Amino acid sequence: MEKLTYSFPASKMIEQPAHVGVVGSGDLEILIEPSNEKKTIVEIRTGITGFQDTWKKVVERFVSQNDISARIRINDFGATPGVVSIRLAQAVEVSKIGANHN
Amino acid sequence: MAQIITESLVESLARERAFQLLDKGSAYEILGPLDGIESPHLVAQNIVPQFDDGMIIVKGTLNGQQTVIISIEGNFQGGGIGEVSGAKLAGTLEKLIKECEKGNKIHPVIIYDTGGVRLQEANYGLLSIAEISAAIVALREYVPVIGIIPGKVGSFGGMSLTAGLCSALIMTREGRLGMNGPEVIEQEAGIRELDSRNKQLIWKMIGGAIRHESALADVIVEDDIPNYKEAIKNIWSGEIRLQHRTKQIQNYLSLFKTLDIEKKIMPEQAKEYLNSKTVNMDIELPTPMGDVKSTGSRWFDLLANGQHSISEVPSVLVADTIISGVNARLIAVVPNPDSKYYRARNGEVGLLEGWTIAKYVRQAIEEDKDLTEKRLIIPIVDVPSQAFGYHEELFGIYLSCSAAVDAYATARLAGHPVVATLVGNAISGAFLSHGMQANRLIALNDDGVNVHVMSKKSAAIITQRTIEELDEAAKEVPSMAYDIQSFEKLGALFKLLDGVNAKEPNPEDRDILESAVIEAYNDIKSDSARDLSSRLKSDIARSSGRKASIQVREMIDLQWR
Repeated sequence: MEKLTYSFPASKMIEQPAHVGVVGSGDLEILIEPSNEKKTIVEIRTGITGFQDTWKKVVERFVSQNDISARIRINDFGATPGVVSIRLAQAVEVSKIGANHN
Repeated sequence: MAQIITESLVESLARERAFQLLDKGSAYEILGPLDGIESPHLVAQNIVPQFDDGMIIVKGTLNGQQTVIISIEGNFQGGGIGEVSGAKLAGTLEKLIKECEKGNKIHPVIIYDTGGVRLQEANYGLLSIAEISAAIVALREYVPVIGIIPGKVGSFGGMSLTAGLCSALIMTREGRLGMNGPEVIEQEAGIRELDSRNKQLIWKMIGGAIRHESALADVIVEDDIPNYKEAIKNIWSGEIRLQHRTKQIQNYLSLFKTLDIEKKIMPEQAKEYLNSKTVNMDIELPTPMGDVKSTGSRWFDLLANGQHSISEVPSVLVADTIISGVNARLIAVVPNPDSKYYRARNGEVGLLEGWTIAKYVRQAIEEDKDLTEKRLIIPIVDVPSQAFGYHEELFGIYLSCSAAVDAYATARLAGHPVVATLVGNAISGAFLSHGMQANRLIALNDDGVNVHVMSKKSAAIITQRTIEELDEAAKEVPSMAYDIQSFEKLGALFKLLDGVNAKEPNPEDRDILESAVIEAYNDIKSDSARDLSSRLKSDIARSSGRKASIQVREMIDLQWR
């Protein structure tokens, strides 16, 4: 398991926390929570080691498109960069509209 | 017009499944991912955890009735049961028992998608599954406990024993129900016994369709939400009659006594056997030719003090004796090299053994039902494993084990003090069936006494690690180790006895064990609880061994509304 942390300045608060995904083969789970720190903090735990550069690019791209002050925690079980991007977008979406499980 | 849009349970994640079944707007989650109660043991082994540990508890209403759905996430670690996930399931069921005792009837539904014990947490899974089983047996008296096995994982390992305990089982064709996974059977018994790549055969053995046709599952549904809800409604209303399979001892025991497996029995034929309800009780099983001794049988002989076994099955020894003035029934599972069940000749718990244990435990319950002082029951534990075999899976070895679990748990709840003595191996499903339901556990501090869930070779294959890596991990996580000193660190033992010769015991050794048994007996007598809660109350459990298990239960209590 490898732990990676990234931090970026941010300005906009998100509405509510959100959770998406599952720590299953080729997938990941994302927990996103509002933060008062005016930062986007991304904490990653991944079972696939040695892909720091790829993670950095994926996260940077996400942050460049989403200005959110939030703590984002990721548990990864071998998701591809494409899956990571889609799950991140989904997490932001859910944080706006609510989980809507009911 | 035909409805073509379906709401699939099989294709959904565990959380979605729970919310899909419950009435819209009624449901809330307990101990969700935001609470962040993840597995400390996975992190310690550098394995990525999940925020909810793969166990989702959602409370709400279903068809207007108060309901809790406990849904296992099969995508995370194969739905394996670890300390946290196990405590979430057991703790929720225990909470429901308390609610029902207060007259507040809340319906439990368990959605199974699990390979059984999470091998990376091993003995925590074993302890948890014993607690889940104990809670199902107690809760069933108030309200039907419904299990759903939608697939894709199905229900395997120790969790299949808990499925066997459910009041009713709903399956789909995509669901599978069995004790030992096909890969493990092939590993343990060889490819001639079962070719795990022969998927067609495996579906015919353990798939939802055949389990339903063999009267082992109550309802089979097409995978669409309204169908599950309809099935649940029909179980609650009594339209689907509860079968109480684990109590149908005469049926199954006479079937397995008469069954001839010299020629491989095909699934279609097995189905007919399982459906025939003829009971033939005058079958004598041949007694073993030679004098076969095992650690378990030596201890049985010593403790039985000259009493002969009254059991009708040679591999299960049963005798009534008196220990320090206390009436006691001894039960031991021992080798029988002549058994026709060739995968159960070395003292394994197989088709015959589970049902036989159930028979003699229930006999004691029945005989003592009017007595205030119920007989002490002593499982003598020296079991190398459950039986891994083709016929065993085909004929539902999980149910044989469930029957034994049910009998011991029922005896405990009826007021029989049950004290298990670990004199040899206490392994996996065999230990769950024979010993784990005891009020108190006593073990001998000996290198021949081991507690674990799977042989190292099989565990290495399943978790895709080397045996060296497993040994290394066991140093960090005591629940993964095999030795009894490590098991003691989990806090479930009432006593670990030093200075006893486990393999070749003499009368002095017997005296030491007997006085420990009596001490445990007195401890049970002074305790009003008849559940397994003492395992969470020991000093070791509270200070280190079961901290997460205790915390999870406290948090369920806090978030319950």
